[in-house]
Amino acid sequence: MSADNEPLIIGFLCNWCSYAGADMAGTSRMAYPSNIRIIRVPCSGRVDPLLIVKCFQEGADAVLVAGCHPGDCHYNEGNYYSRRRFAVLRALLDFMGIDKERFRVEWVSASEGKRFSQIVSQFTEDMNRIGARKAG
Amino acid sequence: MEADFTSQIREKARELLEKGTVECVIGYETGSDGVSARPSFIYNPSEVERLVFDNTCSHNLVKYLLDKKGKPTAIVVKGCDSRALNLLLSEKQLQRDQIFIIGVVCPGVVEWGWNRRSEQFQKRCDLCRQHTPLVYDLLIGTPVTEEPPPEFTDIAEMSARATEERASFWREQAERCLRCYACRQACPGCYCIDCFVEQLDPEWVGIRIATGENLMWNTIRAFHLAGRCIACNECERVCPVNLPLSLLNRKLEEEMLELFDYRAGMSEDATAPLITFIKEEKLGIGE
Amino acid sequence: MSRIGVFICHCGTNIGGVVNVPEVVEAARHMPLVAFADENKYTCSEVGQSSIRNAIAEHKLDRVVIASCSPRMHENTFRRTVTAAGINPYLLEMANLREHCSWVHSDARDATSKAIDLVRMAVSKVARHEALFPKQIGLTKRALVIGGGVTGIQAALDIAASGHEVVLVEKEPSIGGRMAQLDKTFPTLDCSACILTPKMVDVAQHPKITLLSYSEIVDVRGFVGNFEVDILRKAKLVDYEKCTGCGLCWQACPEKIPSEFNLGLGHRTAIYIPFAQAVPNKPVIDIANCRYENYRRWKETEEGEEPPQCRICEGVCPTEAIDRTQQDEIITEKFGAIVVTTGFKTFDYSVYGEYGGGRYPNVITSLQLERLMSAAGPTEGEVLRPSDGTHPKSVVFIQCVGSRDDKVNRPYCSKVCCMYTAKHAIMLKEHDPEVQCYVFYIDIRAGGKDFEEFARRAQDETGALYLRGRVSQIYQQGDKLMVLGEDSLMGRPVEITADLVVLATGMEPSENAAEIAQTLNISYNTYNFLIEAHPKLRPVETQTDGIFVAGAAVGPRDIPECVAHGSAAAVKAVALLSQDSLTTDPLISVVDPMKCVGCFACKEVCPFNAIEEQVTRDGRTISSINESVCKGCGLCVVACRPGAINLRGFTNQQLLSEVLTLVGR
Repeated sequence: MSADNEPLIIGFLCNWCSYAGADMAGTSRMAYPSNIRIIRVPCSGRVDPLLIVKCFQEGADAVLVAGCHPGDCHYNEGNYYSRRRFAVLRALLDFMGIDKERFRVEWVSASEGKRFSQIVSQFTEDMNRIGARKAG
Repeated sequence: MEADFTSQIREKARELLEKGTVECVIGYETGSDGVSARPSFIYNPSEVERLVFDNTCSHNLVKYLLDKKGKPTAIVVKGCDSRALNLLLSEKQLQRDQIFIIGVVCPGVVEWGWNRRSEQFQKRCDLCRQHTPLVYDLLIGTPVTEEPPPEFTDIAEMSARATEERASFWREQAERCLRCYACRQACPGCYCIDCFVEQLDPEWVGIRIATGENLMWNTIRAFHLAGRCIACNECERVCPVNLPLSLLNRKLEEEMLELFDYRAGMSEDATAPLITFIKEEKLGIGE
Repeated sequence: MSRIGVFICHCGTNIGGVVNVPEVVEAARHMPLVAFADENKYTCSEVGQSSIRNAIAEHKLDRVVIASCSPRMHENTFRRTVTAAGINPYLLEMANLREHCSWVHSDARDATSKAIDLVRMAVSKVARHEALFPKQIGLTKRALVIGGGVTGIQAALDIAASGHEVVLVEKEPSIGGRMAQLDKTFPTLDCSACILTPKMVDVAQHPKITLLSYSEIVDVRGFVGNFEVDILRKAKLVDYEKCTGCGLCWQACPEKIPSEFNLGLGHRTAIYIPFAQAVPNKPVIDIANCRYENYRRWKETEEGEEPPQCRICEGVCPTEAIDRTQQDEIITEKFGAIVVTTGFKTFDYSVYGEYGGGRYPNVITSLQLERLMSAAGPTEGEVLRPSDGTHPKSVVFIQCVGSRDDKVNRPYCSKVCCMYTAKHAIMLKEHDPEVQCYVFYIDIRAGGKDFEEFARRAQDETGALYLRGRVSQIYQQGDKLMVLGEDSLMGRPVEITADLVVLATGMEPSENAAEIAQTLNISYNTYNFLIEAHPKLRPVETQTDGIFVAGAAVGPRDIPECVAHGSAAAVKAVALLSQDSLTTDPLISVVDPMKCVGCFACKEVCPFNAIEEQVTRDGRTISSINESVCKGCGLCVVACRPGAINLRGFTNQQLLSEVLTLVGR
């Protein structure tokens, strides 16, 4: 693990919209802080809550899940399930002491490179503000 | 009342076993301490006198039905337990036509231990909304409707604490967890053949008993029951180190009610909120 | 032990200008299982690719990580590269050092450290890849076309022309659809029947086409290449083997019923063909209205008064083709592809109280006017008022009835109404030079080849008065209709005395469109129009492989568009049927039967109905994945609490290992 990635943000991006949106941010040279590490998944609905909890348990400062806007899912319905699942998970994690702010779910389309860049910049800034998580 | 319930249960059990309608009646009998009830499995009409019903009958017996798949079985259920039946029926774990349900209108069960019983109702019984079973073939007792007190005051208290305080509270709880998995074994909703916590590939939870791993276990145990927990509180009752597991379960119960207006186990053809959706809904995610 | 090769690309200066590539290479050499690491100026160039192939051979590499641009760019390119060197294409993983790193980060130190992380993630993931092989499945080389309007006719003819068998299912007794009801077509004014009926006859005569009229789809099972469809064949009570279509029966039948085909403007008999050029040109008995069938129903209970027995048709039929023993029948057929062309119906204007809600006989719809204008229609082509059979001299047209109106939940434009109204204005003037037409419109939408010129002609040459505005009320005064509206361009109210009012009712999907879509498991929007896989790039495909859509079932369309889409759907179906076998994508879900508890949460969430129930040898009912249907979204994996389902290419193990390379331990 490199030392200069703090705060560490792990991003799960759906292949069809958000990963492509992040590609678009690159193609358009829309700079954002380098803290985020992106994991490609086919759909936001593929992101198991186990993975999110694991990220936090192992010390990640923040997690971003990004998928297609509701109605635009490549698989028609995947993001509707992630919306429900993560609304509940976010509440549970917050209840257990992982600040709501540390877990963000966003809809980013393939053309929203600028939006992706803004989300990551803002997220990183927020994490710098509230500080690193204590171990455990 | 208890004596009357007991005799009705025995009478029905005898009839079912004599006629051969069922192979086994799952109910309660008095344990070896002579005070508190324990689960009882009656196969022979001559043994029905062992069956009792009293205010220590807190076990949720529904879980035992999972071992009786394909065998006609009768079971004694309280109101809360009947929700577990609905849950397992909706998840295709049980076949309704294989089960004879002896429903008991339960006034509440008390705190008890080895050779002692208090007169104090269990906390969950004070909050109970389901004294009368939802599903039964025979109902014992008179159905009651009661307006229970406000449900989630304990959750509100916890939520009112600072985030860091909540984090350290749960870290302290996790430090005490033995990972004995009694909570899982008692839970009617936990019936995976291979629980995630014991899988080695992928190794979601490290085998070592450490705070972080324990926290992960407790978080996912609760989450896997989101929209499925029927609030029988067996997990908390059986925990040897008294972890406040109901706080997590009830937090999720509250979320299910607020977000989806849903209570688990209310009907045998319900769909749990996390495996369905409404296109237009707003849940404060990505908005 | 795996031997992983890592290849870092400079992409000219695109990556190398920011990321310290040699440092990343050096770091990669020390990662677990990495046997070789190197850098390339341009990995995607032939030089770059051949250096990878050489390295694979030289260093006996069995897995490859390429750290370059987005996998969305070159994953397929590099899969081919490693395949050429003898490595399974799915034993490749890419790290996105360009779009996700060097192009968005300017600090060399940060970017290099992130690049190392991204390579480490890819290495840990590729170590957990497995060799995957696409499967081949067979297919039935037959197509089903649902709906026998002009779109379905076109699709059926085109598919048949390619040599494949087609079954065309039509719920009415005849094919032809809406186009058969039209008199002339805009903007060329050719006779609709004259251009359509030859195609209908072609369908009937084509050796590769089986026409199932008076039939409906009741159930569809299976998947691309292998559909099994239950088709309801409604009892016609006429044996088509014996019937010659001579017409004696329908001329003799005494029962008169309002004709559906003529939209209630004329009558048909109980044994009938919908219109003279019907295909098949053989009648059906309308069981609900036939006198003898009515008697037979009475006979079962003998309640109430005894109705007359009739059976005149049986008496006059020279071939004894009437068969009262026929029953509804469900047949099951196999198909490789399905084309859905269920078409449209016109908006029911009775919700508009201001237009009389259906109370005034001389307020008619445009489609009814078509029937009045048609030489084969109930008035033999004379436009006569329904109330008294006189020639109307003043005709008011009202546009956008059930289109562009949020109040009736039809916000969309029906697209054809402006043009057919222009046609009506021109045609009415031809029928009777004394006619004065008035057209209330919102906008004139005449986008299309020769459309604007045609709409102009209606306004300039026929003397039709186009009034921009809505009509607020119609009421009857004597035998006239008073039409109150607003001329919004002049900003004043107008009142017109009309003999006839024609409502340009919009298009909406056929009555059972949603039901058929559900049966087929394809999507439809809030108005029940079918949803295509992509509105621009996949206009005739659906999210369900092997099912195609065309025509006005998808949205308001005119005849040329319907025909074009019919042909387009046919090409897609033929492209599918022309294959000898179908190749499935191996990046799909798999079930571990030992772990599955049979709760079927997976089945609940699968958007593609890919989950099937299977009974194991020890009697447990568990999930199994239909590999031809699964699209690899992974929703089932997350729904599966016991972890019995995994998604190839994005397994739990792989995603977890990516996480664990980033965080402590």
